[in-house]
Amino acid sequence: MSALIVISVLAVAVLYLGIFSNKNVLAPVTILGLVAATALLASGWYIPHDLLHGMLDFDRTATAFSMGMAVVAMLVFAFGPDYYARKQWHVAEQYALMLFSLVGGLLLASWTNLLMLFLGIEVLSIPLYVLAGGKKRSLRSSEASLKYFLLGSFATAFLLMGITLLYGLTGSFDMGVLGTFMAAQAAPNMMLNFGLFFVLAGMAFKVGAVPLHFWKPDVYQGAPTLVTTFMATVVLMAAIVGLHRFIDVTGMPQSLAATMALLVLATLLVGNLLALRQTNFKRLMAYSSVSHSGFLLLALLANADTVGSTLLYYTFTYALATVGLFILFTIAKRANNGAEHLGIFKGLFAANPVMALCALALLLSLAGIPLTAGFVAKYQVFLLAIGAGWLKVMAFGVLMALVGIYYYVMVARELFLPAEQPVTFTVAPLNGLVITLCTIAVLALGLWPAWLI
Amino acid sequence: MDNVITAIRVVPLEHYFFLSFLLFSIGMAGALLRRNIIIVIMCLELMLNSVNLLLVALSAFHGDPGGQVMVFFIMLVAAAEVTVGLAILVQLKRNADGVDINQLNRLKW
Repeated sequence: MSALIVISVLAVAVLYLGIFSNKNVLAPVTILGLVAATALLASGWYIPHDLLHGMLDFDRTATAFSMGMAVVAMLVFAFGPDYYARKQWHVAEQYALMLFSLVGGLLLASWTNLLMLFLGIEVLSIPLYVLAGGKKRSLRSSEASLKYFLLGSFATAFLLMGITLLYGLTGSFDMGVLGTFMAAQAAPNMMLNFGLFFVLAGMAFKVGAVPLHFWKPDVYQGAPTLVTTFMATVVLMAAIVGLHRFIDVTGMPQSLAATMALLVLATLLVGNLLALRQTNFKRLMAYSSVSHSGFLLLALLANADTVGSTLLYYTFTYALATVGLFILFTIAKRANNGAEHLGIFKGLFAANPVMALCALALLLSLAGIPLTAGFVAKYQVFLLAIGAGWLKVMAFGVLMALVGIYYYVMVARELFLPAEQPVTFTVAPLNGLVITLCTIAVLALGLWPAWLI
Repeated sequence: MDNVITAIRVVPLEHYFFLSFLLFSIGMAGALLRRNIIIVIMCLELMLNSVNLLLVALSAFHGDPGGQVMVFFIMLVAAAEVTVGLAILVQLKRNADGVDINQLNRLKW
């Protein structure tokens, strides 16, 4: 709770700083504030927090995910000074909106009341609608923003309908009451099924599960790269933990399990197959993110006791790799006059071998090659799926993971090809540091996963 | 307050469900089919308000004020959302020309 207050106050303070001081102090102040918030979260690790009449509960899952999101947000903000140095935008608003969005993420990590689920989703999303349209003169950015807004509101309406139906059954928004109600429920109940289905649909939109994934590639491509990085990492973590908390209480009744299994199959298939034919790096990352959502949903489908730590490990390592790759993408994009196709990585190994090897490691981690964290993460998910008896779905997941390796290696191949015309990659020291940190963390967590699991 | 709740309870709960689902479906159809973005935003509001209606009815039938509190939160968030949405629309209008949803075709596949 103290972390929530710190981040909210920090966001307002950053807005004021934007008026009264120059933009160089914004990122350091933001990162220091987040360090403080993380420290507060860490200090309350073992203390049960029952807040706002039991509407929020910072248990260990919530605390761990909140800390993970704060750490990833720090890495994203560390990319900020360099990214915004050559833009004419009002930078303070961008930082503040991302912080507000992070507050929504914390709410999603700790909600125990359906009202807080709704508020968390909205506090997470509304700043993102604005952020996606950050490039004011760009039609693509406005288009991405409007598409995200329309589809997001549409999904919210479904979520609310689900919440209302569940409220109609139990007479309370509290998840504990819902859990008791469902435990006592023997016969299938249509209203309950519809309620669960609508809430699942609303959350699946935020996670980007097929058939509700259409916004993802468009928004990822149209939004400014820094915002895309934030969306691909922190927002995915928040949406997944929100859904996890829901399924943790409701369990996996037969009707929900069938829908979930279909979602997993469709997400894995569409995400991986459409990623194969992408030529734009941001769209490729969007479809890769869809396919990773598929694996995360597979873990949720299994719904064992250890699913929380698996999800945290998976999303955290995925976020690390994604942050590093998007920074590398920005470096390569600048070197190639703003082009976004995969060929912009050509010549990186010849020009800067260290960065190219970092990129290789991060790509291999996303692909799930052994010795990287991505492998351990996928392995954990498959173990969970086997444990819960979803053998066929698991086998399909393994197949799709193999398809996934192809397009990551396709990008990795470009790193080592010679450039067609001479290009110069300029790596700012802070960016280099963040990329190196991400790479080291991904490799270290791959070799010693026990640190996080 | 009590006579309001009694008045709500005069109508059977199924009727509220029926009306709410009807409004929700109209809103959904409009959001999916209409081409003018302002109308689409109106339809999204209609979907949210159908939920509000159902929440108030359920709250009265359960005798629990929580549902009505939720309605306030929904109205608040819907207001914030539509503010952002119209701002985005104004920005789009400046970059493109007009508010037809078919213009949103730069980003696909």
